[in-house]
Amino acid sequence: MSDEIKDITTFDRLIHEPARLAIMAVLSACENADFAYLLNATGLSKGNLSAHLSKLEEGGYVAVTKGFKGKYPNTTCALTATGRKAFSAYRKQYLALAQHLEK
Amino acid sequence: MAVFFALGGVTVWFSLEPMWMSIVANMVARFGRWAAWINLMPVILAPLAVWGMLRLMDYLRRRWLWRESGMVKPLRWVVSPQVNMLSAVILLGGVALSLGLRQWGWSDDAFVLRMLWAATGWGFGYTLMGVGQHVGISRYVWLGAVGGSVSTLVLFLPLTFGQTALVFGLSWSLMLMVSGTIALRRGLMSAQGNR
Repeated sequence: MSDEIKDITTFDRLIHEPARLAIMAVLSACENADFAYLLNATGLSKGNLSAHLSKLEEGGYVAVTKGFKGKYPNTTCALTATGRKAFSAYRKQYLALAQHLEK
Repeated sequence: MAVFFALGGVTVWFSLEPMWMSIVANMVARFGRWAAWINLMPVILAPLAVWGMLRLMDYLRRRWLWRESGMVKPLRWVVSPQVNMLSAVILLGGVALSLGLRQWGWSDDAFVLRMLWAATGWGFGYTLMGVGQHVGISRYVWLGAVGGSVSTLVLFLPLTFGQTALVFGLSWSLMLMVSGTIALRRGLMSAQGNR
């Protein structure tokens, strides 16, 4: 069995879950984004997005900053250096597997 | 960026064109030395206008686009260092080529000066193509390719350095404005669709 297949079990499970993968993919392409943007970009429900953001925050992959935009509360999310590094490693692993499956 | 290019072109044209210089010289003779400061006005106004434009863009995004679609702050460095490096090589390569051609007697000083703008356009066009490929927006790839081609045209126009700057700046400004208008229109349509 090839290394790429064996490596499937070593995929980062915190990122690999589809909803969290969507959040990580969106945040990897920007400096930061607010909760409303993530809602639109990922298509998740508010509760779902909030729960997955909490898990990513606990894992140290996402930094969540709560503040105000005018009178309204505003939550801004950004990937941490650890999160960016983890997503880059995940992406490489994923691409290697995809290339192997295409053969 | 469109405003930056337009004002940059106008500033260089205004500062270096003999026609404007003689007008300023006449004003100095008539009204005194302080009139010479008028020649420097574009240099002061250009950065102010760019700053104002950035503030306006930010306001428009916050007021309309981000209210519906949410706020996103783009990455500071979108393109890889290799793209930036190659862009600089293209710019310097163009200038070196024109200097070489002049050395061999195949071009004149005016061609070397026009090459400064053409090579700047090639380098910037290449950077835009790199950005487009990186973020997956074909509009930027097209903009870079068309802008690079248009920049080549200024090489062959019988213009002075200042006039070339004006044509170059306004051409890029127009292309960027068209591109920006397309993006803004899509953004507003998407925001309306989400309502």
